[in-house]
Amino acid sequence: MKKECIAMLLAGGQGSRLYVLTSNVAKPAVPFGGKYRIIDFPLSNCTNAGIDTVGVLTQYKPLELNGYIGSGQPWDLDRSSGGVHILPPYMVEGDKGSWYKGTANAIYQNIGFVDMYDPEYVVILSGDHIYKMNYMKMVDAHKAAGATCTISVLEVPWDEASRFGIMNVDSEDNIVEFQEKPKEPKSNLASMGIYVFTWQKLRQYLIEDEADASSSNDFGKNIIPKMLTAGEKMLAYRFSGYWKDVGTLESLWDANMDMLSRGELDLLDASWPIYSRLPDQPPAFMGREARVEHTVVTQGCDVEGTVFNSVLSDSVVIEEGAEVRYSVLMPGAHVKRGALVQYAILGEHVQVGQDANVGGDPMDYDPDKWGISVLGPGTVIADRETVAPNTMLNCHHEEVRR
Amino acid sequence: MKGLHGLIFAYEKHLGLRELTERRSPASVPFGGRYRIIDFMLSSMVNAGIDDVGIILQSNYQSLLDHVGSGKDWDLSRKHGGLRLLPPFHMDQCRGDMGYRGRMEALASVASYLEKIRQDHVVLANGDTVINIPLQKVYEAHLRSGADITCVCTTKRDNCPDDATYLMVGEDSAVTSVEFNVKQPAGLRALDIYILSKELLLQLVNDCKRTADYSFRTAVLQRMAAQLKLRAYVWDGYSAKIHTLQEYYDRSMEMMDPAIRRDLFPRERPVYTKEMNVSSTYVDPDGGCVNSVVADGCTIEGTVENSVLFRGVSVAKGAKVSNCILMQNVSVGPEAEISCVIADKNVKITEGCTLVASGRYPMALAKDSEV
Repeated sequence: MKKECIAMLLAGGQGSRLYVLTSNVAKPAVPFGGKYRIIDFPLSNCTNAGIDTVGVLTQYKPLELNGYIGSGQPWDLDRSSGGVHILPPYMVEGDKGSWYKGTANAIYQNIGFVDMYDPEYVVILSGDHIYKMNYMKMVDAHKAAGATCTISVLEVPWDEASRFGIMNVDSEDNIVEFQEKPKEPKSNLASMGIYVFTWQKLRQYLIEDEADASSSNDFGKNIIPKMLTAGEKMLAYRFSGYWKDVGTLESLWDANMDMLSRGELDLLDASWPIYSRLPDQPPAFMGREARVEHTVVTQGCDVEGTVFNSVLSDSVVIEEGAEVRYSVLMPGAHVKRGALVQYAILGEHVQVGQDANVGGDPMDYDPDKWGISVLGPGTVIADRETVAPNTMLNCHHEEVRR
Repeated sequence: MKGLHGLIFAYEKHLGLRELTERRSPASVPFGGRYRIIDFMLSSMVNAGIDDVGIILQSNYQSLLDHVGSGKDWDLSRKHGGLRLLPPFHMDQCRGDMGYRGRMEALASVASYLEKIRQDHVVLANGDTVINIPLQKVYEAHLRSGADITCVCTTKRDNCPDDATYLMVGEDSAVTSVEFNVKQPAGLRALDIYILSKELLLQLVNDCKRTADYSFRTAVLQRMAAQLKLRAYVWDGYSAKIHTLQEYYDRSMEMMDPAIRRDLFPRERPVYTKEMNVSSTYVDPDGGCVNSVVADGCTIEGTVENSVLFRGVSVAKGAKVSNCILMQNVSVGPEAEISCVIADKNVKITEGCTLVASGRYPMALAKDSEV
């Protein structure tokens, strides 16, 4: 069945900079913003944009992610033609096969899948970002320009430009140079890691790249530079709006706080809904002593204590006399009576014992020593225990260094 | 095949629900912050492993059809069996627009469906009861006891509906007599959930057709009490049949009681409902929310207490909401003050509006109205 455009979502990375939060799940399955997981954003963007065929390339700890995606029904991607497909690496005759060696190799190994739909264009996405984007507008720009490759870019503040892959463009936004994390950036257009390729062209480059033993089979390091050198038409597509890489603990916490402020990232906007899969839970309950301010609360929560500036995912319990400030609580986290949690990320089913103290206010600490505290999924903090700011614990209660 | 088939009666009308049932049947009245009343019985059936469920409808059922859809949210959208909606399709009684007079008449009108039931046992239940009951246990008890009909009942005497059925029980939970419309109720109160074999059900439907009987409790429970082995199964968990606006209000307010919520929402038996994609609820620094049940997708910028907020409710700055039930997408304007109000879906309460009713006589605002 021919499709004009399909999407391939790279979801195999470990997301090692999220440390304990990804010790058991792939990064795209990490909870976000109360009701979501990171992968809900690209999947919902696809379905809202009208892309009904999505290959999800998984590799690292895929169990939870695969279960979460399931038939694709929450995103309306349970189709008889197309729909969502989980694509793990596989063995081939003669014990050949291999893990996905890099982003380009992951697509190379699935040339057969893409060919099944014989698309004109392929959108390459990753499961690392929080944003709302109509990919079809980007495909339209790609088509209109007759490009081989279109890369979406975002204007970033100049002083941050050296942290990104920077695209230098001409007056018509054709990419003339690509610099990975340049010390002295010539432009402030950062790559968002979203590519549109004309499939037949990409297919050819992937085959050549695979034959090159010195290549690390990566889009950013190999495919894009090779296309540039070969003089292919490459377009920068300017995106404006909210976009955040949530690959680090700090940026994940920041993005949650951004969502709270309901500015650029408006999740209640009915014209571009973000879908998610959530177990059926009764509505939240706010007790008689509950004090909740500038906070999101999700179904299944039971709030009897005080919560300021925080994100409560489903089934979170805040007992009476407990206080939570500037924190992100993932599903099932439980903060007991009298405990204080500040500037922290609590993984799924974390328990904080009575009168325990987790994290600290940056005002009270030396900026070099302060940082958000992170408790990995399933960590149990004993009654009256203290977890200092900038500390990270895994489910065995061992400290993990960043 | 062995197993239980679910049949839900959703044809009854309760005029006492007034505005709430203007455009829907009692079974599809919203309840508990994110559910329709029928969700409780549907979920009880699904959680008991029941694969096939028929819902008997008669009129005003458009809202119910819209709610249950294909049955997907209850895992009842199946290749074989699953959910079946049963509007009248066998009208040999030729009674025109008249409502079914009783359960036997309702069953007779779907007789061709009953014949095709795959399972050897059937559970009959009402769609207008808020209850989360482990039907699997009732079914196991039915099989163990060798009864012809197992009647689920309660020893509880609170919130008894006027038209309740009472069972006198002898040794081994055998039902000795069945009464209703009695001044001084005695015995166990029936919860109107019955398990019997498909074979017996078909026979009873046939018999009642021949004698033009329509009532399950007179023609079956009372008249055949001697011939059939009727047994009581006592279940004392939460259950509420909602017939009037006052009952609706009182039962909704009970949702603030943690013990009742635990009873109605046990972890092992979730209540399923139609999925709506809404974000989490946001409480603003100027807002506050105490002793309330709050579904997702609400924006609370004013103050809310002792209330039930359904999905997508917004309470603007300076607004005060107390002792209210606000259904899906209700918006309360800035500086408005409402108390003891039941606002149906999409009601708009405009800026500065004051509506204060009493808990003994709550005010209902019909769907889509603007005040």
